[in-house]
Amino acid sequence: MFGGKGITLIVLLTLILSACTTSRSTQNADKIMVVDMIVKLDRGDYWNTIRMGAEAAAKEYNINLNYLAPDNENDYREQIALMEESIARRPDVIVLAASDYEALGQVTDQTSYYNIPVISMDSEVASAKVKTYVGTNNYEAGQKAAERLVELTGKYSQIGIVNFVQGARNADQREEGFLDYVARFPNVQVMDIQYCGSDELLAYTLTKEMLVNYPRLDGIVSLSAESSIGAGKAVVDMGYAGKVKMITFDNPPEMLELLQEETVQAMVVQNPFNNGYMAIVAAVKAAHGERLDGKIPTDTKLIDLDNMLWPENQKLLFPFVK
Amino acid sequence: MRFWNVISRYLKGFHFRNIQVLISVSSITITVIVVLLVSIMLFDRFSKAAEENTFLGLGQTIEQVNANLELYVSGMEDVFDVVEEKINMASDVSNKQLGEQLDTILNTRDDLVSMALFTEEGDLVRNMPEIPMRQNTKLTEQLWFEKAVRKQGTLQYTPPHIQNLFKWQYRWVVSMSKTILYQDDARLKKGVLVIDINFRTIDQLSQRVSLGKKGYVYIIDSIGTIVYHPQQQLIYAGLKYENMESVLNYTYGSYLDYAEGEQRIITIQTVVPTGWKIVGVAYADEFLTTTKELSDFIIRVLMLVIVVVLIVNIYISAKISQPLRKLEKSVKMVEKGDFQTNVYVSGAYEVEQLSKRFNLMLRRIRELMDQIIQEQEAKRKSDLDVLQSQINPHFLYNTLNSVTRLAEMGKSEEVVTTITSLSRFFRISLSKGSHIITVQEELEHIRHYLIIQTIRFKNKFEYEIVSDEGVNDYLTLKLILQPLVENAIHHGIENSPDKGFIGIYVKSEGDNLVFRIKDNGVGMSAEAVEKIFSNVMRNGPGSGVGVRNVQERISLYYGKYYGLHFESEQEEGTTVTITIPIVKLEKELSEGEES
Repeated sequence: MFGGKGITLIVLLTLILSACTTSRSTQNADKIMVVDMIVKLDRGDYWNTIRMGAEAAAKEYNINLNYLAPDNENDYREQIALMEESIARRPDVIVLAASDYEALGQVTDQTSYYNIPVISMDSEVASAKVKTYVGTNNYEAGQKAAERLVELTGKYSQIGIVNFVQGARNADQREEGFLDYVARFPNVQVMDIQYCGSDELLAYTLTKEMLVNYPRLDGIVSLSAESSIGAGKAVVDMGYAGKVKMITFDNPPEMLELLQEETVQAMVVQNPFNNGYMAIVAAVKAAHGERLDGKIPTDTKLIDLDNMLWPENQKLLFPFVK
Repeated sequence: MRFWNVISRYLKGFHFRNIQVLISVSSITITVIVVLLVSIMLFDRFSKAAEENTFLGLGQTIEQVNANLELYVSGMEDVFDVVEEKINMASDVSNKQLGEQLDTILNTRDDLVSMALFTEEGDLVRNMPEIPMRQNTKLTEQLWFEKAVRKQGTLQYTPPHIQNLFKWQYRWVVSMSKTILYQDDARLKKGVLVIDINFRTIDQLSQRVSLGKKGYVYIIDSIGTIVYHPQQQLIYAGLKYENMESVLNYTYGSYLDYAEGEQRIITIQTVVPTGWKIVGVAYADEFLTTTKELSDFIIRVLMLVIVVVLIVNIYISAKISQPLRKLEKSVKMVEKGDFQTNVYVSGAYEVEQLSKRFNLMLRRIRELMDQIIQEQEAKRKSDLDVLQSQINPHFLYNTLNSVTRLAEMGKSEEVVTTITSLSRFFRISLSKGSHIITVQEELEHIRHYLIIQTIRFKNKFEYEIVSDEGVNDYLTLKLILQPLVENAIHHGIENSPDKGFIGIYVKSEGDNLVFRIKDNGVGMSAEAVEKIFSNVMRNGPGSGVGVRNVQERISLYYGKYYGLHFESEQEEGTTVTITIPIVKLEKELSEGEES
């Protein structure tokens, strides 16, 4: 009964073949990747630009993006709650901009139980489970600010620093970068370092006090958008505009006004759009199991009066068409 | 492992020349080829149509965007013309009435940000709304100013940029600019008029266009500067690259672009007044999904067809091959010697016929086998009979008896004759064990027999042996005459009161050799003649047994058309005719050929 066997074999092969094709076609109907992106705040130009970048990438890679943020930038408890809710939903990847380096470590570690890769962006988090960090090279940004300020004030000068949150990872790194660069010049003195806690008003009063305490100050560097706004206002109000050289961080519109009026000499501008975009690109790679570098730094740009209207900088400084 | 064992077992038992496999494989191959060819043709046709539709659809989408933009821009041009006219007609540029008119125009449209008149040196003449200017505007270096001055009197458009001229707000605007004439202090002067339009409308218009999930629209100006691009920042940061060089070669149309490793459909339209190019980028894999679906469908149909064909094949080929296999099995049985198998196979007509013929053949073989067995048995028996007649103890005893009697009577001469004839008789009888002897020898044999019998029966009969010229060398079965002559003596002459006569005549008649044994004895009735062959059971001494034996031997050796024929009449005598075919002595035949 050789023929009988032959037929059985053919039928068997056909079944296997058809099984293969059907399984292939189900694979083709790939399910859409879901990425939960948990950031610090859901408003403000900076976060909206990050969101814009993330959405551009989500569209490009056909991803379902959930953009989540607490109501308050410093509310790490709500962020932990958001993380827990997200883990319960089992997204393919979580992108996290941690409001607190230490506090969010534990909840981040939990993701590894469920095999959810985590991409850290903007601010790092104390967890070894993070696949990569996408964000501004803060140390380098601090150094850039220092380099320009020393150029402006000269090698014999007094400098004040208006920082934002002491203990926040990016604040510390910017400060460290700045101080490390300034340390090369023995006659450049850092007279004072103040922390405004991301409060414009506090920054304003602290800067005012600083200018009163050190009237011979040659330069002020402010290391965040809020501290820059406060410091800028204080410098103008105290009549030091143009006399005290200012390097600021980020690009709130009021600071651009000051830049054009030459109160601020230069501003270190991050690229939040690229951060958001790169974070999603890294998330896609992580979901596909690709190995990622420990850090994916994005560049900062030093913007001054000369280059502020260059076409490539206009879009960076004014990300939104209003 | 178990699975592999099963598979290898199947493969071992797989015959590629098996009818079922042959039919299945060949028809599946043909089916697959035909279906493939048809589907390739269909696929080609459909995918081309789908592609054309896609291009058409994308073209229409972009055309729509273009129409909207053109409408928008030409509306702005009209505004510009009106403003220019107002300024031209105003007796003085600082005229309050002009300010009111311009304000009205400005308020008619939300997206008019500002209008301003500058001298050719870049000093502000008048602006609307009247907002103070910023420092460090570098306006003479800006594109709108430069272009207006360079191309006097024609309306210029800039790509969107940040308007940094006036305080309080930074706005993304598209600037329309042109050198115009105006009256100032009763003097005709030349200046640059710039009207800034909020870019938002264009931005939103472009954002809204959807070209699939991943596709997008971007706009560049005639020299390749980006007007609008959803990923503008990435391009400036060097993270993205948009191949604009090839786009710049087109005014409108579509082409396929293979950059970035993905196939993209690029559709281009030009906004005539500004010279901007609207470029639609659609990802082919999204828009040509119809072709993928089509190919999926075709693959499914192919699989279905193969399965159906396979099932039909299995049925048909089983219909053909299974009866054949049954037939093969019964032939094998026959091969092993079992002739009793009867094959009946139903199925295809040809196979049925074959099995019928096979059965007929089998029956014939069975018959022939039986016949051979019978014949062999008969031959053996007749051989035994011949052997017996060769020695014939009864005859020997009778002869020796008469010799004794003759010797007692002192008839020594007759004793010698008898013994000599007896010796000759036996010599020819044995004839070295050969069945076939020449006619001469056969006649010699019968002569010696007759000599002995004449002496024994004291000349109760006379005899005559006559043979035609030439027949002596023909071959014949031996000892065919003796039983008949013996019969003639015992049943014909012995019982007759008259003197007997036996005549033996040999002739060739056509192809046959004919022996005739005539006697003038008592003869037989017609019934007795019939009985000679029919009654097998009669077994009297010297009776029909010898005659039947002769008949059987002749028909066994020469065939059933040859044999004995009796003609007998009571009181008149009997004539027995023996007909056998002429067989010449081979040796002589070959000698004859040589001579």
